Amino acid sequence: MDLILVNLIDGLVTGLLLFMLSAGLTLIFSMMGVLNFAHASFYMLGAYFAYQISIALGFWMGLLIAPLIVGVLGAGVERYGLRRVHQYGHVPELIFTFGLALLIEEMVQFVWGKNQMPYSVPEILNFSAFAISGNSIPAYKIFMIFISISIFIGLLYVLTKTRVGMIIQAALSYPRTVEALGHNVPLIFMGVFGVGTALAGVAGVIAGPVLGTFPGMAFVLGSIVFVTIVIGGLGSLWGALFASLLIGWITTFAKAYNVKMESILNAIGFTTPENMDESMLRDLWSLTSPQIADILPYILMVLILIFRPAGLFGKRTQ
Amino acid sequence: MNDQITTDPSKPAQRMRAGSLTLTLAPWIISAVFLAILPQIFTNNSTLTIMNQMSITIVFALAYNMLLGQGGMLSFGHAVYAGVGGFAAMHIMNMSDFFASIPLVVLPVFAGLFGMGLAMIVGSFSTRGAGTVFAMISLGVGELIAACSVIIVAFFGGEGGVSGDRTYAQPFFGVEFLQQIEVYYLTAAWVIISAALMYLWSRTPVGRMANAVRDNPERAEFLGYSARWVRFYSFVASGFFAGVSGGLFAINYEILTEENLNTASSGVILLVTFLGGVGYFFGPIIGAIVFTLLQTVLSLSTELWAIYAGSLFLATVMFFPGGFAGLIMMHVAPFKLGKLRLLIMPYIKTLIPAAIGILGLAALVEMTFHVRHAAAGDNEMTLFWTTFDSHSLIAWAIAGAVTLIGLGIARVTAPSLKEAWDEANTAGGAS
Amino acid sequence: MSTPALELSGLKKSFGKAEIIRGIDLSIGKAERHAIIGPNGAGKSTLFNLITARFAPTAGTVKLHGENLAGLEPYQINRKGLSRSFQITNIFPKMSVFENVRCALLWSQGYKYSFWNLVSRSRLLTEGADAILEQINLLERRDLPAGTLSYAEQRALEIGITIAGGADVIMLDEPTAGMSNTETDYITDLILKVTAGKTLIMVEHDMGVVFGLADRISVLVYGEIIATGAPADVRADPKVQEAYLGAALEAEH
Repeated sequence: MDLILVNLIDGLVTGLLLFMLSAGLTLIFSMMGVLNFAHASFYMLGAYFAYQISIALGFWMGLLIAPLIVGVLGAGVERYGLRRVHQYGHVPELIFTFGLALLIEEMVQFVWGKNQMPYSVPEILNFSAFAISGNSIPAYKIFMIFISISIFIGLLYVLTKTRVGMIIQAALSYPRTVEALGHNVPLIFMGVFGVGTALAGVAGVIAGPVLGTFPGMAFVLGSIVFVTIVIGGLGSLWGALFASLLIGWITTFAKAYNVKMESILNAIGFTTPENMDESMLRDLWSLTSPQIADILPYILMVLILIFRPAGLFGKRTQ
Repeated sequence: MNDQITTDPSKPAQRMRAGSLTLTLAPWIISAVFLAILPQIFTNNSTLTIMNQMSITIVFALAYNMLLGQGGMLSFGHAVYAGVGGFAAMHIMNMSDFFASIPLVVLPVFAGLFGMGLAMIVGSFSTRGAGTVFAMISLGVGELIAACSVIIVAFFGGEGGVSGDRTYAQPFFGVEFLQQIEVYYLTAAWVIISAALMYLWSRTPVGRMANAVRDNPERAEFLGYSARWVRFYSFVASGFFAGVSGGLFAINYEILTEENLNTASSGVILLVTFLGGVGYFFGPIIGAIVFTLLQTVLSLSTELWAIYAGSLFLATVMFFPGGFAGLIMMHVAPFKLGKLRLLIMPYIKTLIPAAIGILGLAALVEMTFHVRHAAAGDNEMTLFWTTFDSHSLIAWAIAGAVTLIGLGIARVTAPSLKEAWDEANTAGGAS
Repeated sequence: MSTPALELSGLKKSFGKAEIIRGIDLSIGKAERHAIIGPNGAGKSTLFNLITARFAPTAGTVKLHGENLAGLEPYQINRKGLSRSFQITNIFPKMSVFENVRCALLWSQGYKYSFWNLVSRSRLLTEGADAILEQINLLERRDLPAGTLSYAEQRALEIGITIAGGADVIMLDEPTAGMSNTETDYITDLILKVTAGKTLIMVEHDMGVVFGLADRISVLVYGEIIATGAPADVRADPKVQEAYLGAALEAEH
């Protein structure tokens, strides 16, 4: 029971982190119809910038400044890159962001090298907040939950209570109409892209110390973020939240409990074959849940796309 | 064939068709002859290796373009079909009795069939839509199978991959494929065959409808064709040829690993195809040749080749979405107008300074990299056959000046190039 | 009387709470030229989309030659001999004019999803496509990308694609929308020529075209057919005068 609580907290941290990325990605997709392949790259940039800033000015300035730089970079990418490619259609846009993701990874290696950066949790948060039957919960995790939830509340406030938020919400459902109403849609696009990437930057700043700041970090998280918003339903913010938490918990629990495929298969009524070496399915029998934890989201996504192509909360199919 | 022989050359439409037959056959014969005599010119083994790699990439890129260019389907996981085909080929190689009874040359067919089988399974649900949903499914399936490669060890061989020996096959007219040159001819023959088949595919009813569905799926549906099934057939055919390329890989390298399946490989083939140009059949061929050269030649001289390739790719997407093939075909109109020579001088005036400027920029990039990452005290670096101190101001000044002057001249002369270009594309006038 | 070419009964369509088509019963005989007119927003295009299964009806049935079309996909309906054009030009802009027409011929000539035939080898296909091009007067534009044609030419091509498959029920959605007078005359003649002996159902705003072409006219107002009959009868119908002309006048002001 206590272990379940610990895993619930761990899964929540992962889920909220995913949500910070998937929220921005969803906003960008809903407004512009572009799946930003480079979204996780901005998350990585957030971590690296914060690391660089934290050397000179400390962690807190990093948390403040790095997302801003990332957001400005993101807005620049939209203004000078995406907007140009937009005229060729959606497929080139997707290819553009894909190329951008590759290039950002190379650039990061160019500047910081291939090794992991010694970017670590600030001293002030480096203690154990409380313990649940011997499993201590680091204060930093509580801090991450706190930051993510406040960002979520902030986002909710902006989207539902402010004028800009109204326009964005309207644009989510009726992009053409909003344009026809005379709003400066290109500016809104640039803004949303900037804010979305800045959110990814924040996620990078706070995730860098725990998940590691290395050139592959974008790749590790990037495709999972995609999976998240596809499962949640492209364009649905609530879907993104639900799917993020779902994936956070599924992967955490799959890793924490070593469930063997053998026991599952035995439970359904299959008997373990005598001579395992002869069987082509020997790998299936020896599977364990931690082994497949990382691919569970993909399996989930493929299943969802087959049986409910619009995603859990999605309305649009394209 | 009869159809062509009995045509009456006095009717213009038919004469045009008879003429286009010679025109369509010519490139194939030329490439076949070219591939046949190439090893006589470049005799060393490393060149053969590069050419084999190029050939494999050509087959794969053409297969990929059956989706992207002809069918409008963007896949982020196409390496899976090549990889699975390749793994299947490796397993056949290791089934000694069966393998000894077939000639090596038909192995790619088996690989193709496995790629095709997988494509049929995945295509049955992924081809319902094009666009974003298709792209996402391809990514998900790609990641899934790549991740499976470390879990399902029986088929994918885990970390070490699967290896085998091609020479155990039944000798093919006495050839046992012990030597690189023999493998080269096998690969070259397969490139011509696959390319020709893929070209012919694009001329069949289902190939034509693939274009129609790409441009306007709804209209195609109101012409009696199910967009989904048209996509499915393209997807399956593409899976077959991707599998063939995987089989060729297996024959050449005699080992397949997780790297043949992963998203990075899928990304590379997208890059290759797009660089070459998705709009024309021959685009991916150019892409494969250029990319393989970049990869082998450039990666020998600089660690940063991926940055250059990435920048080239982004620049292509942004400024020349038609890729190299598009650039070449842009010149058909001036050529037909007989005004191509108008462009020669402006090209020299703009492109050469631009190239020099870009080399200067590359030098700056290389020097930055050296200063930042070389071991402390190691200030000496070699660039463009000159060795110098990477911390010296003079070196930086020279590189900076070359960059500025080169790009500056290009910028100044660009408007007159634009003018010349417009002039060359206008009918009439001084010519 | 033989089975009608197209028979609609109790056809309804709602989008959310808005009921766009409110119960339509209509029977169109073989080789009849039938025009559907009505003010903007009356649901004419929606009706077209219901018949061709672009939208699924909320209630009611569509029968083609007595066969219920419920649950069929657009391509299946097309194979049964019903072909349509679109209000917004809907061609394959990147392919050549000739290719556009040839694609439209493929299914009807029995090629299906074949990958063992080369399209250029079939003289039937080439000659068939050229014959259509000649009919729609685009033979000179044969090898140009369809997207580069003028608007009227694209509309003509759209009609060419629609009739190419040899369907015996042709549905045209505002074939003359946005055209000058000469262009309209050209398209009207073209429609007369290419639909000879076929069942034609068209939505049209231009009354000159409607009264020149149609054997019978249905007036659609707010999702209901208020009158059906020969042109002269419809013109004289006071309900039509009131509803249609009234609305038309409103739209003008």
